[in-house]
Amino acid sequence: MQLQDSHIVATQATAQTFSLTPPHAPAGMRITKRNGTHEAVDLGKIVRAVTRAAQGLHAIEPLQVALKTIGGLYDGASTRELDELSIRTAAALTAEEPEYGQLAARLLAQVIEKEVRGQDIQSCSQAITCGARQGLINTRLAEFSAANARKLDDAIDLAADARFEYFGLRTLYDRYLLRHPETRRVLETPQYFFMRIACALGGGDMAETLQLYRALADLDYLPSSPTLFNAGTTHEQMSSCYLLDSPEDSLDGIYARYGDVARLSKFAGGIGLGYSRVRAQGSLIRGTNGKSNGIVPWLKTLDASVAAVNQGGRRKGACCVYLEPWHADIEDFLDLRDNTGDEARRTHNLNLANWIPDVFMQRVEQDAAWSLFDPAQVPQLVDLWGEAFTRAYEEAEARGLARRTLPARALYTRMLKTLAETGNGWFTFKDRSNATCNQTAAAGNVVHLSNLCTEILEVNTEAETAVCNLASINLARHLGEDGFDFDKLARTVNLAVRQLDRVIDLNYYPIPGTQRSNARWRPVGLGVMGLQDVFFRLRLPFDGAAAQALSTRISEEIYFHALGASCDLAAQSGPHPAFADTRAARGELQFDHWPEARPQDGARWDALRARIREHGLRNSLLVAIAPTATIASIAGCYECIEPQVSNLFKRETLSGDFLVINRYLVDELKQLGQWTLAMRDAIKRAEGSIQAIGEIPEPLRQVYRTVWELPQKALIELAAARGAYVDQSQSLNLFMATPNLGQMSSMYMYAWKRGLKTTYYLRSRPATRIAQTTISSAAPSQAVACSLENPEHCDACQ
Amino acid sequence: MPANESVPMTTPPITSVPATGAAPRLLDPGFALTLRPMRYPAFYDMYRAAIRNTWTVEEVDFSGDVTDLRQRMSPAERHLIERLVAFFATGDSIVSNNLVLNLYTHINAPEARMYLSRQLYEEALHVQFYLTLLDTYLPDARARQDAFAAVENIPSVAHKAAFCFKWMDTVRELKSLDTQAQRRQFLLNVICFATCIEGLFFFAAFAYVYFLRARGLLHGLAGGTNWVFRDESCHMAFAFEVIATVRHEQPELFDDALEADVRAMLADAIACEAQFAADVLSGGVAGLSLAQMREYLHYVADQRLRQLGYAPQYGATNPFAFMDLQDVQELTNFFERRVSSYQVGVSGELAFDAAF
Repeated sequence: MQLQDSHIVATQATAQTFSLTPPHAPAGMRITKRNGTHEAVDLGKIVRAVTRAAQGLHAIEPLQVALKTIGGLYDGASTRELDELSIRTAAALTAEEPEYGQLAARLLAQVIEKEVRGQDIQSCSQAITCGARQGLINTRLAEFSAANARKLDDAIDLAADARFEYFGLRTLYDRYLLRHPETRRVLETPQYFFMRIACALGGGDMAETLQLYRALADLDYLPSSPTLFNAGTTHEQMSSCYLLDSPEDSLDGIYARYGDVARLSKFAGGIGLGYSRVRAQGSLIRGTNGKSNGIVPWLKTLDASVAAVNQGGRRKGACCVYLEPWHADIEDFLDLRDNTGDEARRTHNLNLANWIPDVFMQRVEQDAAWSLFDPAQVPQLVDLWGEAFTRAYEEAEARGLARRTLPARALYTRMLKTLAETGNGWFTFKDRSNATCNQTAAAGNVVHLSNLCTEILEVNTEAETAVCNLASINLARHLGEDGFDFDKLARTVNLAVRQLDRVIDLNYYPIPGTQRSNARWRPVGLGVMGLQDVFFRLRLPFDGAAAQALSTRISEEIYFHALGASCDLAAQSGPHPAFADTRAARGELQFDHWPEARPQDGARWDALRARIREHGLRNSLLVAIAPTATIASIAGCYECIEPQVSNLFKRETLSGDFLVINRYLVDELKQLGQWTLAMRDAIKRAEGSIQAIGEIPEPLRQVYRTVWELPQKALIELAAARGAYVDQSQSLNLFMATPNLGQMSSMYMYAWKRGLKTTYYLRSRPATRIAQTTISSAAPSQAVACSLENPEHCDACQ
Repeated sequence: MPANESVPMTTPPITSVPATGAAPRLLDPGFALTLRPMRYPAFYDMYRAAIRNTWTVEEVDFSGDVTDLRQRMSPAERHLIERLVAFFATGDSIVSNNLVLNLYTHINAPEARMYLSRQLYEEALHVQFYLTLLDTYLPDARARQDAFAAVENIPSVAHKAAFCFKWMDTVRELKSLDTQAQRRQFLLNVICFATCIEGLFFFAAFAYVYFLRARGLLHGLAGGTNWVFRDESCHMAFAFEVIATVRHEQPELFDDALEADVRAMLADAIACEAQFAADVLSGGVAGLSLAQMREYLHYVADQRLRQLGYAPQYGATNPFAFMDLQDVQELTNFFERRVSSYQVGVSGELAFDAAF
């Protein structure tokens, strides 16, 4: 009975949405043109413009877009408002039909084009000249462009704009394209932008530059946001990550770090900052014979400082503080992100991470006691790892230096609670991170922390701050007729490694100590995005054996070719200066630390090892899997190695909110003749899940599970298998709709045992939800069905 | 204003067990104290879910809002914001007052009163949020004073307030719900707050905010409002649960006369809100026309009628595609904004062999 009713409702809704309502008072509606004159709104003109833009798209109804646009106008609106409104109107229809996303992107591309041409910029070289005149572009780039103007302008591929989804193009337009300092109009089109990046990073070589441009225009891979923001500009800060050692335990040291953090934030770097050297609450201060207030007040000041520096309005500064769990202030540290309690002891802008030694996890397992220390009394602990750390830790316990002792499980519980309640307080593992790091072969070289997104692991010291520049390969663009195209992958890796290596020399280093460190180690971080796209296209369930095998193989190929490219560079320009201090110099590669790893072709690897022995490597580290939050949206693919969050979800960014729909699923449903409004409403009611929609064939439902419906163990297994070929680390988010201590404690213990170096956010879902406004309330609730099928993941009944 | 008059404290007899042998009903007068066996576990579940969603005003980041207001918004859009904030400044306080004066007094189940206590806290939190917002947006003390006085001085806002007070006044004199007529009267008050005030006035206000958010404007306002909206959705769900419970226990209250009253009340509310919209949009805002707002109000009103089990009246569809956006999961890049979906409170015991 109920089902029948819902069917009727759905049919009615279909009829209503697709029937065209007349625009309100169209007769009196006028548009204010750019020259100030008025003109009556012309429906036909808008329809013609939309029809032109929709060429080659099949599901677009231009009249619908035009009528909806006019419906939202007011009398006297400007042409600019009309353009903007038609774009948004098309974009809003994306959830009904993904082609509208492409239409919106094309309409936006026209607006951008008009804006650029309106400033008398007709070519890429003119755009660069104009940027240089405004003081935005550096001399190196301006001269290269001037000398090669014809070739560069001829290479611009206008058709490449068609690859953008609306969301990606909008992001580029709102934040990445260079703008005139006063008028704020954009000085470059997306293709000029890509060419500018290619020229800046091509090393002055035309063939290399054009190859880079081609790869960017094809969205085969993208450098990280700081590189896209700043390449070729007068402040060429292109690195994503800075790893600052803990300030030394003094007033001057602490205040000097605030300055470092601010300068790095200003130029779009994300910051990891240790704090384990700073003395704990109650520790004696000799200079004044007073007692210290511990780390919290210092972090409160840091919090305010981070909020104040907003990266030129393009994105907010961000910083993650790392603390080792033996620090006596660890419990206060874990409370820093609570949304209740004394505001003087809360830091809403800082991210938090735990830097955990193995002995802590062992004591949790054994249900043993755990001791907390004041670093002023055990300064040696910060610089030790592995066996040496465990020995020093136990010795300090034996000497009675512990400030306090508590059950290890009590602290573990507290850490998990922080993670569940705030998403923060990430689990990263100090000993594993050091033992597998290529840079820690020589005594005294220690990885003290990871970075803002837990994918970078590099040694640093008080005087040397670790830096890393990143790029990510769009795996979705490496699919051929017969599956994954490993040859193309190899070419992209080679190109990307050369580009990343060049950034090391070109980069502007905002604080001293970064340049020194980068010159010695020359680390880079090449990652991936769009793994989920590959699985969708090949119809592989995320947790299946085939998916794991492919994902592992991709990682192995990337590592292999990255090492090869770096070895080639070493043959040309010599190995990086600290090469002798690396594990690679001793013939050890990353997978040697992963006993279960089975590299594909032993002979190939042996040959590579021999070459590395002969020439060395230009870069101490090569692979790091970053979250790719923004560049994945520019490229229009799913983020890094992550499963989809939902088949229908909203993306909130500084450029506004966008509805994103799984277009692979829509294609599948269209082929089955199942993409109807009723289906769309059913997916929406189920918050983007299709598991309870019986009409969809079971194999398809397996492929299109959301991350909430996947066993998290599978994500850890994939990460562990891939880990053998990732010489830095991975930004691995884990997901639990309603976090539960039992599951969480098992999950993080397992992650540690599987040898993961770091994990990232624990994502959960809100306990209550906003009332859905745009689907019929008479529709049956899905709560009963889903709670029976999937009690753990159903939050309708919480 | 009637709401400012002093309220005589009424003291119904405190009973935990009904005098007669019949099973106690939700609107039977009294202050029941017994939680076990629990008569309405749904209310208790709602109370617990609400607690897990605790948020604080300090978490909302207003840092970009003032710049947006000054640099990115047109005078017409600023006018929209001024009117909206003027409504928000007093809207939640009115709901609070009705909670204390009416709902808490007459909904007789301790688990329901637990929820109402929590709701009262949330309303205070919303008031604090909009107060902070107002202080941030309006640096001038005089302008702040005017915003709060809007409920008296600005006709479109005053009109909405008068509508609320009218329906509060109808139950003000009720000391206890002894007769069917009194219960019916009370029911109309509950329906009014659920369908017209929280369910229509607030939903319209949220639409303006979401419109701006879809354009990337005023993240502080949008972020906080998102949380407010989440709370309000629960308040509405609670009120509808109360109505459904009463309907189950006393179906005779739901006669044709009640339906006619509800329809008239909704029509009245739509008229109030449309008048407000005419004022809010008087400067001309591209993407949000008055005709669309009317259509939206009709669409929401139909939803409310359906929730009450009545046939829809207006046959309207939702004209605002941007309202689609708030129906689906968010995925926030933490460089961009704070993620708003974390829960307060995690349960369970430590284990090392749980499936995950």
